[in-house]
Amino acid sequence: MNKSSTLQNSLMLTPLIGVTDSLVTALGLWLMFALVLSAYGVSMGVLRSRLIPATHLLACLLLAATLTSCAELATQAWSLQWHQHLGFYAGLIALQCVVLEHNGFFQSPRRDRLRLCGLFGALMVGLGLLRELIGNGTLASHLSWMAGATQPDWQGWTLIADGGLHLATLAPGGFILLGLLIAAHQAWTRRPAAPH
Amino acid sequence: MNRATSVVSLVVLASLGMGATYLVQHTSAARIAAEQRLIDSRQLLDLLPPDSYDNQPLEHPLSLESTRLANSTLLGGYLASKAGQPSAVLLRIQTLGYAGAIDLLIAIDPQGKLVGVKTLKQSETPGLGGKLAEWPNTWLQVFTGKSLTEPGDNGWALKKDQGQFDQIAGATITSRAVINATHDALRYFDEHRQPLIGSSAHE
Repeated sequence: MNKSSTLQNSLMLTPLIGVTDSLVTALGLWLMFALVLSAYGVSMGVLRSRLIPATHLLACLLLAATLTSCAELATQAWSLQWHQHLGFYAGLIALQCVVLEHNGFFQSPRRDRLRLCGLFGALMVGLGLLRELIGNGTLASHLSWMAGATQPDWQGWTLIADGGLHLATLAPGGFILLGLLIAAHQAWTRRPAAPH
Repeated sequence: MNRATSVVSLVVLASLGMGATYLVQHTSAARIAAEQRLIDSRQLLDLLPPDSYDNQPLEHPLSLESTRLANSTLLGGYLASKAGQPSAVLLRIQTLGYAGAIDLLIAIDPQGKLVGVKTLKQSETPGLGGKLAEWPNTWLQVFTGKSLTEPGDNGWALKKDQGQFDQIAGATITSRAVINATHDALRYFDEHRQPLIGSSAHE
């Protein structure tokens, strides 16, 4: 793992722990991420051939900042509560764009790009579901925020009436859960090779 | 692809970016501000059941006559209504606690029953009287459903003052102040039912 891919992964880890305390925030950040990234990919594809390499970084910064600000404002106008729960993590998408650009992500084959986005999305949604279920005992609460500000609030399905384990909604709980998931993944992938 | 076109493209990109951000900000600012106000008022009014009112109570302040009550000061009042019918009166009352002023928001329904009491501002001892600020608050929930006649005048006091209410552990003065202020609010409502909700009918 080289230095810049570590940076890329740690930038992905931040929202992965920060906004996955409920499904609706995890889904929201991932949607914003996918939207900004595809808009960025298209615009940068047009621009790249018209710019000398020395100005790429500056163009990349401008574009990423513009797209992220517009996406943030649009989310606020769409549903302010949703945006408030995303916190400042949405702003980090701009930084992710810059780092991904630096890593040559946007020149890699389409399949690789989709794979990374899909993996990130699956992790976000999975972790969001698990943490909400363990931490609050609910499933998909406030999902109505995604339908816009005018919708009445929806509390989701309550599966555990007494509220669940609060630790899971906090950042340490997120790390513990992610660690357990990685351990489970490793145990799963290594199992066929293990001697009986 | 030379230096000049690159610089021109960058300048165009920068101005486009700024223009787009400004435009989006300009068009959505009013909507976002309105939404923020709605969230704020919902947070302030979460002592009312959400489906019990459909107006914006904070935009319907009541004109109040005498603001000096027996143990407290009335700072303001709001009317919550549903389908044109008053559903609750919110009184903002300030009383003196152990360490300073306590601001309470007290909601009373048209029958004179308490809907809820919420602490807006306090500076009581953290861990003792400061527990008043917790929300939802089990001690303040005891008042829900109580009225001026249930319990009667003598009941509106702490158990150690021969009343019927428990106190917050270790915070007698705070608890006494809150109970007296709540009692004041109920009395004020009873005496000013007509100007507050426009009907004098008991029950």
